[in-house]
Parts: sequence; structure tokens; C-alpha cells
Amino acid sequence: MEFAELIKTPRADNVVLHRPFYLAVEGTLCLTGHHLIFSSRRQDNAEELWLLHSNIDSIEKRFVGSLGTIIIKCKDLRIIQLDIPGMEECLNIASSIEALSTLDSVTLMYPFFYRPMFEIVEDGWRCFLPDEEFELLSSVTDEWRLSCINKEFSVCPSYPPVVIVPKSIDDEALRKVAMFRHGSRFPVLSYYHKKNGMVMMRSSQPLTGTNGRRCKEDEKLINATLRPGKRGYIIDTRSLNVAQQARAKGGGFEQEVHYPQWRRIHKCIERFNILQESLIKLVEACNDQSHNMDRWLSKLEASNWLTHVKEILTAACLAAQCIDREGASVLVHGTEGTDSTLQVTSLAQIILDPRCRTIRGFESLVVREWLQAGHPFQQRCAQSAYSNSKQKWEAPVFLLFLDCVWQILRQFPCSFEFNEQFLIMLFEHAYASQFGTFLGNNENERSKLKLPQKTMSLWSWVNRSEELSKFQNPLFEANSLVIWPSVAPQSLQLWEGVFLRWNRPSKFLDEAHEEMINIIKYNKELQAKVNALRRQLAQLQTVDRMQENLRHTQLGIVSSLGSSSVSKLHTVLAEAGTLTSTQLCG
Amino acid sequence: MEFAELIKTATVESVLLSCVGLPAVKGTLCITSHHLLLSSCPGGDSQPGTVELWLLIRNVDAVEKRVQNLGWYQPPRTNGSPRDTRLAGSSGTITLRCKDLKVLQLEIPGMEECLNIASSIEALSSVDSVMMMYPFFYRPQSLKLEEGWNLFPLEQYFQQIASQTSRWRLSDVNRDFTTCPTYPPAVIVPAAVDDDALRKAARFRQGGRFPVLSYYHPKNGTVMLRSSQPLTGPNRKRCREDEMLLGTVLDEGERGFIIDTRSAQAAKQARMTGGGTEPKSSYPRWRRLHRPLERGRPLQESFIKLVEACNDTSINMDRWLSRLESCRWLSHVKAALSTACLAAQCMDREEASVLVHGAEGTDTTLLVTALAQVILDPSCRTLVGFQGLLEREWIEAGHPFHLRCARSAYSHARLKQEAPLFLLFLDCVWQLSRQFPFSLEFGEHLLLTLFDNAYASDYGTFLCNNEKERCLCKVKETTHSLWAWLNQPGEKKKYLNPLYSHNALVIWPSVEPQSIQLWQGLFFRWIRSSQYLDEAWAEIERLVEGNKPPVKESAGNRLSQSLSDPAARTENER
Repeated sequence: MEFAELIKTPRADNVVLHRPFYLAVEGTLCLTGHHLIFSSRRQDNAEELWLLHSNIDSIEKRFVGSLGTIIIKCKDLRIIQLDIPGMEECLNIASSIEALSTLDSVTLMYPFFYRPMFEIVEDGWRCFLPDEEFELLSSVTDEWRLSCINKEFSVCPSYPPVVIVPKSIDDEALRKVAMFRHGSRFPVLSYYHKKNGMVMMRSSQPLTGTNGRRCKEDEKLINATLRPGKRGYIIDTRSLNVAQQARAKGGGFEQEVHYPQWRRIHKCIERFNILQESLIKLVEACNDQSHNMDRWLSKLEASNWLTHVKEILTAACLAAQCIDREGASVLVHGTEGTDSTLQVTSLAQIILDPRCRTIRGFESLVVREWLQAGHPFQQRCAQSAYSNSKQKWEAPVFLLFLDCVWQILRQFPCSFEFNEQFLIMLFEHAYASQFGTFLGNNENERSKLKLPQKTMSLWSWVNRSEELSKFQNPLFEANSLVIWPSVAPQSLQLWEGVFLRWNRPSKFLDEAHEEMINIIKYNKELQAKVNALRRQLAQLQTVDRMQENLRHTQLGIVSSLGSSSVSKLHTVLAEAGTLTSTQLCG
Repeated sequence: MEFAELIKTATVESVLLSCVGLPAVKGTLCITSHHLLLSSCPGGDSQPGTVELWLLIRNVDAVEKRVQNLGWYQPPRTNGSPRDTRLAGSSGTITLRCKDLKVLQLEIPGMEECLNIASSIEALSSVDSVMMMYPFFYRPQSLKLEEGWNLFPLEQYFQQIASQTSRWRLSDVNRDFTTCPTYPPAVIVPAAVDDDALRKAARFRQGGRFPVLSYYHPKNGTVMLRSSQPLTGPNRKRCREDEMLLGTVLDEGERGFIIDTRSAQAAKQARMTGGGTEPKSSYPRWRRLHRPLERGRPLQESFIKLVEACNDTSINMDRWLSRLESCRWLSHVKAALSTACLAAQCMDREEASVLVHGAEGTDTTLLVTALAQVILDPSCRTLVGFQGLLEREWIEAGHPFHLRCARSAYSHARLKQEAPLFLLFLDCVWQLSRQFPFSLEFGEHLLLTLFDNAYASDYGTFLCNNEKERCLCKVKETTHSLWAWLNQPGEKKKYLNPLYSHNALVIWPSVEPQSIQLWQGLFFRWIRSSQYLDEAWAEIERLVEGNKPPVKESAGNRLSQSLSDPAARTENER
């Protein structure tokens, strides 16, 4: 298929662009295969807007006479309005945008066409490999091994080729366990807590069914992670009721009789369309123009978004508590083990592990616990809050995770190396991106699409120092402690940076932020200057001392030797003098 | 009255003090006339104890007592067993809920002691006589009594205006408080109106509060006036002098706005009780706008409900949000900010003068005029300028602090005239500081300190209801001023906003409901540890401090000096 076929009118002049908090600008609108480009021709204030078609969530058109208006609502929640003269142009442009923004085939997406303009210092596709992770682990414990059982994705289609499992369990046993778990997601290591050697594992639900089927290998596998005489916790992210109902469909949960060393705790986290509807309602409330405080608060409440944030954070805190406070190992799962399970395991790691609060550590966490762990990004992020089309598998699971991270970041402003912008950037790229990182639903699909060969990784771009500096938290000071967030409803706030981003003037907040960054940068420069001066001072002092010593020796020698060698010593001294002056110049 | 009479038990040993977020401490509890002290003695009895609690009893809003261990209770024998054995094993818990919203718990061994302590605190905290309050007894060594009382004379404020226009004069018509008991002795009025006319206009306004100048906008010469409602009554009484007073404010052909902080309905009803509004026919050049703001008891109840919701640790997210909504506090914040913006807009954008009043002109009126000035006038956004604004627009303007701040959100006492208008003002200023993080020279800490001091203080600044009462009580002669303490160099530093840079522009806040936030620093201050946020602020402050040019230079100079020294010596030796 050719993109050109879909573009009925590639260009329109005298288009007026309206955005909240900006003056309307007139300019030219162009459509390309992947972008909507608006450029104002004004000399004094040339401006360009590039919008990825895949970022467009919905489009509305309106006509007043022959003037058409298109309202474009984006997946990053921005809303812009374009006034296009000429009814036909307007209709053509609208239908082109509609067609281009709803392309179904992954290989037609922009990442396959994007050619970066920057030099690649470090290929993001080669960062955060499981081997590196395992190397770190094997330096502290030898109870685990790297298994290549899933090399061809033959055992579990949604797992990466290599996984970390207990050393005492062989691949044969793993195959049997896989048959006992939903989607073959057998229990694997998610996190090792160095402080006390406790672990967090994740899996999907066991397929006990109505007959209470059991699997000895499964029992053996998870018991292998327990210390003698110790108990572990299974955190089921469904309510007991839902878990029981799952048995009718072949699923189920670990029964006490077969897993006597494990205590099961049910923590209900919502999933799928309930979350998606919550997002839709929340965004609607945020865009409400009625200026009524009661209405705003009741809509905010009715959206239930903050309730979901609270539930997820609470479950993550529970998992972290079991590990750190109770000294017990934990297994987390819900139904498929690809959504709420990952929210809990990844948040618990942020709470427990200071490394996850650095930029690289967080990237590694996203790669490990979301991308490689098989969170179906393509399905979940196909549409955002404005889409009118029928929902299939969309759910803001990842956005909720980012929101929870933001809540913790807000409560511990000095403990994170990254800032809010970093989280917002990840949200944007999960929904629409020029990079291939979030394409596909799991590693299996990514390798079939040959993403590492054909597209650029988001990490290759982010991890360059120019970009990194935008995402650094100036207040960061490594905090090696576990950080326990407050989950009281009063402590949780709406994430304005995402939800009110386009409908509040952020000029002053941005300025404040910029100023802070400037201050910190300046501070660093001065610090560097002071250090350089100190070094220089120390150097000069040593040279000075050396000369002092030299002079003393010289005097001693002069008095003991005859005058013949004095001239020789003078040359030595002169040499030392030149040395000093060159160093001074340097 | 002697304080000693109210103190039934002055000291109790081994009292356990607990407070959310802090470890419990055991120590000796003492009650003095004005304070509750708890000192622990970590190293045994011989060593001097450390004071763990130093609470102004005036700060106590509610005392709750619970007696435990009733299991020890045995019915008294008929031949009369000694009372002491019966109570020996009992203990009691006193919960002190403070006006600054802090909650403390004291576990006191001995039921009788517990009851005595509770009733002593109750009696001492409800002493209502101003002259018995702590400021009259407080004598810190670092301050002088007269310091800080005359920092912001109205003459000085008038001089600024007089340098730009001659249309205003300083009148001492109220020098002995006979014209208006709630006004200060000096007020700024139109130069064209003489004192006689003022006296007549005063009789036409509730409580004698005739229109006076509140703010002169130097940019375009428009002014903001404030007053109380006119006493038109059911017969639509008029007053030539009042009309003339307002008339002289406007130039030929100019129009002005009257912002009435009541609904049109309420303003109309006020006529039945002798009040009313300025009728169009008698004030043809003034357009009336009604912007109802909550006041009095509903506002106090809103405050109480909000604090209740904040303290409820058992609620889930839905209930929290619906309680936040139903308490309506944020709606009040929004309404106050919107009205202040309207007043500011009339002056700055429409270039029209404004008169603000509600009924008495001592509550919502001041809320609007003070906020509008923070929005319009950069000098009100400095630490000193803000103090001057509070002095002029709240304290001297006769906001009845003593009545409004007698009780806070926990009190079980019957509400009388309490209403958190000043808190609402501080909250609105906080919203401004959040939206314009650079433009206010002071930080949240100042707003919190002002809130604390308005409800219970060592200083006399917020005592009494108006200048007349302050005169009678000799507040300025016999108490210390809060400003004197705040403005000491060491103290002042704590209140500054490290990010401040002068912003000469008008700051227009967003008043969309989505932009208004709950002031967590105040309402969650004692509930949630702010350790990490405080650390972040300390870090910002440290960074800003490190960047100040003088420090930088001197460090650089020192280094370069020590650098040049050894260099010079090497040169010489060669």
C-alpha cells in the first residue's frame, strides 16, 4: 500500500491553528505519510508543529459556511483545532488523517521509516540484556540460574528467550510447570532483595480448574525459593471472589493444602475496560469547562482513577513489606500475569531498590518488568482517552504505573535521579513514538518484526547526554533506604503534569523549573572551578616545598663540596625554576 | 481572678506524651498559667530534664478525656475504704486538640490527676479576658516592647499616594474612635470631602464604616475603596454626603464598580433589617456586581468538616473525595480568588475604580481587598510589604480577630462568632504562591506562622477586634509585636522564598476548579510527615544560597589569594 493513496489533499494554505494558551496562528498545513505538519510563515515568529498520525486519538469536523474546523484529540491528551478554508479540502484532510491515524499494520508505523539525525553512542537494543542482570545477581547468590528454555519462544510465547529460575529446577520440570500456568507463564524471578536474600517472583494463575488439579513440579519450584522453616506470601491481584470464579474457566489459585508453606493474600486491582473507562472519565473531568468546584470534585471522584492508584500502590507496598519487613519471599500473580502483576512487581522494586530510582535503573526496570515480561503494549496503548471506536484490549495499565511512580516521586523528591518529565516522556512514547521500543506485545513479536534491526530504540536517544540533562532531577541525592510511600487517600494527588498539562498555563511553573536547573548548573560549574583551583594550589604548594628542600640540600652540598660543582647545581636549580614556571602557566 | 485558682493539679509524674509521627516520651507534666510543659529526664532524676512539650494553653481548642482500667474498680465498702486504693491502678488519657490543628495525647496515671489536669486545661484555655492572655506576660530578652508597633504607619502609605496625586487626604476624623469604633484613628479619604461630610456619611453606613481608600493603583490612578453596607432600609433612605463622597472618586464621565460580596437576594433582604445596597438611581455612575462569598457560621462549619475529613484515617478514596467536595472549602477558596480577580480586573483592565463591601465590611470585604492587592501590587508580595498589607487591611481595618479566631476546627463549644476568614485569605495567598512560585518573597512557612499566631500567640499583634480595643487594652505598650520577632535577621531567613525574583507585573491566577488545590502544608501538617519535602526545600535553599554573588566572590578571592602567594614566593626565590 502506498501512503500517497490515502492522502487526498497533501497541503492546505491559510489554515489557522488554535491551541489553549497560545494565540491563534495562520500557516500552511501539510500531510505526509506519518506526520501532520503545520508551519506558520510569519517571519518574526516562524513556528512548526509536527504531529505523528499515530498520536491522534480522535478527530472531529465541523462546518460554518465554507470554513471547516477540525478538532484533533491526541493520545498524549492534547487538543488542537485547525480552521481550514474550503469544505472539500477540509473533508479531504479529515478523512486522510483518519485513515493515516488508524493504520492497522505494525510495519507501516513510523518507527520503520524513521532515520535518526543524531549519532548513536550506545545502541539501546543492546542495553539491559538479561545476562547483565543475571551477572549482578550471581555475584550475591548462587541459588538461581539463567534458563534458555524459551529460546524459540516455544514454551511461553509471552516470555523472553531467557529467564531466571531456581537452580534446583531443571528445564524438564519447567516445561511441566508451564503447562500448569495460564499462557504458560511459569513462576520466574522478578527481584532479589540483597538485604535479606528474599525474592519476588511473578507468574500467571495456576490452571487448577474446578477439579482442583495440582502440579508437583509447580509446588516444588516455588518451594525451592523458601528458606527452611520459612513461609512465603502469594499476592493474588484479584479479589477472592474473582479468583474463585476463575476456576470455572480453567484458572484458579494455589490451594492451602498443596502449598502449605504459602499464605495467600488477595488484593483487588482493577483491569481492562474498567481502567480504560476510568481514564476516559478522568480526562473528561479535567477538560470540563463548567468552572464549578463541586462538579469537578465529584467528577474526579466518579472517575475512580485515584482509587486505582491507591489500590496499586497499596498492593506494591504490601509486597515490599512482606519482603523487607517480614523477611518472606513473595509470588505475585493475577490472571494472565501481564498487567496488574507487573504493576505490583515493578512498583515494589522502586520502593525497595535504590537502583531502580536512577535513570538507567528505571529504564532497566521498564525493559525487564514491562517489555521483556510481556506487557502487551500494542494492545493496551492502541487508543487513549478520546477514542470513539469500540474498545478491545485497551487499558492504561502502564500509565497507572507511571502515575504511581509519580506519587512516590512527589513524596520523596530527593530520592529519584529522574524527574516528572522523564515519566511524561515514557507515557508519550508508549502511546505514539518514532522509536520501536514499545511496538509489539512481547519479545516474540518484536523479534519477528525484527525491531532491533529495523527500528531505533528509545534508549539510544534518551541516553545521550543532551537528552538526559532534561530528565535529571536536580535535587537527587542517592538514598539507599527503602522508601515507604503514604497511601492514605489524602496523600495521593492528581498528576497535573499529565492530566492538566494542556489545560493549565504552565509558564510560571516551567520558568521556576528552568531557574532551578540553571541554579544547579551554575552551582556545579562553580564547584568544578573551586576544585580545579584547589588542585592547582595543592600542586603549587608541593612544587614550593620541593624547591625549599632542594635549596637546603644545595646549601649542604655547597658547604661540603668545592665550588667547582656549584655551577652544576645552579643549572639543576634553573631547571627546577623552569619547571615551576611552566606549571604556573599551565 | 488568679490563675492559681484554676490549676487544680500543677504537676504529675510519669506522663506519657504521644503525637502522630513522633515517638512517645515519658516525663513530668507541669501546668503554669499559660503553658503546658512536659519535661523528660533521660538520665535519672538528678539530671536536668529536656523539655519535650511547651504548649501555649491558649492553643488548646478541645480537651477530651478518657479514663481507663475501670476493671480495678471495686464497689466501696460500707465502712468506707480509702478512696486512694480504689483509684490506684487507674489512669486516664487526655487528648488535646489544638487550634493549629495538632493533636496530642497525654496518658496520665491516676484518675483524679487526669480529671484535674483536664479541667485545669479546659478552664485556662477558655479564659476569655484579653488582658489575661499570654502576650501581656511574655517578656523575651531579645526584643524591646515598643519595637515593631509602628513599622507601617498609614502616613507613610499616604505619602506614597500623595506623591502621585493630590486627590486624597489623611483624615483624623476618627482620632478618638467616635465616628467609627472599628476604624483606626487615621483614614485616607477624598480630598474634596471634609470631616463633617464624613461624619454624616458614617451615620449612613453600618457600624459607621464610611468608604475609605484601600488601594491606589499607580499604573492608571484608579482606586479601591471599602466600606460597610449603606443603611438604606425599607424606606430607601439616601445620604447626599455618601453619594458625594463616592461621586468625587470618579472623574467626569467615568464609571465605577461596586462589588457587593453578598448575593442580590441577600442584599435585598438586608433592607428589612435596616441595611441595603446603593440604588442605581442615587448612584448612577456606579455599577453594582454581586459576588456572594461565604461567611460566618457556614464558613466555620466548612473548616470543621474539612479538618474532620483530613483527620479521618479510615476512609477510602471515594469517601475522601466526596467529603472534600461536601465540605466546600475549595469552593470558598475559588470564590474568594475569583472575586478578588474581578476587583483587580476592574481596576487594571477596565481602568475603573472599585468599592467593595458586604454587610459589616469587616470580613469578606477585607478578604477581597487584601487579595486584590496581592494580585495587583508587587510591593505586597515582599515579606515586609505583606506584613504592611496585613496591618493595614486586616488588623487596622478592624477584622475582629478576637471573635473570629476564638475557636478553631476542633472546639466542641457552641459557636459564637468564629469564622476562618483570615485562614481563607492565607489559603488563597498560598494558591497564588503555588501558581507563581517566583513572585512572592515569602514562603509557606510564613503563612503557617501567621495562621498559628492568629489563633494563639505569644505576641499582641492579633489580639482584640479593632484599634479602639487595642488602645483600651494598651496592647502596643504592654505586649510585643509579632513583626518585631519575625523581622529579626535570624528569624526572617526562615520565611523567605529562595526562588523569589521581583516580578513587577500583575499576577492573574487561574481560578479553574482544576487549578485549586488543597493546602496540604496546613491541613496535613501534623498528620503526615513532611520530612522529605522539607529536605527538598532545604536543598533548594542551600543551592540558592551557594549561588549568591558575594559568597562566591569571597570564596574565589580567598582561593586566588592563596594561589598568588606561593607563586610570588617562587618568583622571588629565583
